[in-house]
Amino acid sequence: MPPVPGETRSGPGRLLVGVYGVLALAATARAGYQLATHGSEAPLAYALSLFAGVVYVVATVALWRGGAWRPVAWAACSVELVGVLAVGTASLVDPDAFPDATVWSGFGQGYGYVPLVLPFVGLWWLWHTRPAPVARDTQEDA
Amino acid sequence: MTVPLTVLVAVAALALAGWAGWFVAKDRAVILRQLFGAAVVEGLLVVQGVVAGVLLATGTTTGSPGLFWGYVLASLVILPFAALLAFAERTRWSSVVLLAAAITIVFLQLRLVQVWQT
Repeated sequence: MPPVPGETRSGPGRLLVGVYGVLALAATARAGYQLATHGSEAPLAYALSLFAGVVYVVATVALWRGGAWRPVAWAACSVELVGVLAVGTASLVDPDAFPDATVWSGFGQGYGYVPLVLPFVGLWWLWHTRPAPVARDTQEDA
Repeated sequence: MTVPLTVLVAVAALALAGWAGWFVAKDRAVILRQLFGAAVVEGLLVVQGVVAGVLLATGTTTGSPGLFWGYVLASLVILPFAALLAFAERTRWSSVVLLAAAITIVFLQLRLVQVWQT
């Protein structure tokens, strides 16, 4: 599907970048607002949300740039996957630790489970668009 | 929040979503006329923001104005963002992006009403 190996932003990648962008905006802005206005009520939850938001920002940029940014995208999507699974589990096992919901609470329940699905799609997409293993001069510029 | 206006925005966004969905099914890229349609929805969102601003300035209160304005701003940036992606991608995936953006607007309208009423 992608015209250039290693290219991550065309075709389905547009949608992926778009959804990541929206989630990045939503999570970062919301967590920033929560921390600024009533941060002491649930500092852990809001800090985690802010962290998730920053990771989404990084993933959005990295998926948009592709090429040399691919390792960054791999890392960001992996962190998200671990984060949503760990925090999702923790929020169910120990609800008292989370007086207010985070982006990753209940496996991203508050965001229609998009945070749970997205890292899987992101990782699949990175794998799908991986450059050919043989050395070729297909270095594309972002 | 004026519920009729919210319903109007949601219906317009749903119509846009249907139009984009139809194009996804037909394997077509977003056309300029759809972006005009998106501009109409965007215009309604601006009207909604202005109406909310006037209501809040004239004594109406809402539980968390900061959160409310956050949602207003978020809903305002979604469609221009989708339009940019639609310009860059000339395949059916631009229609998928527009579809996703329109559905996001509908979702944000629901949240907007919830936030307004808290």
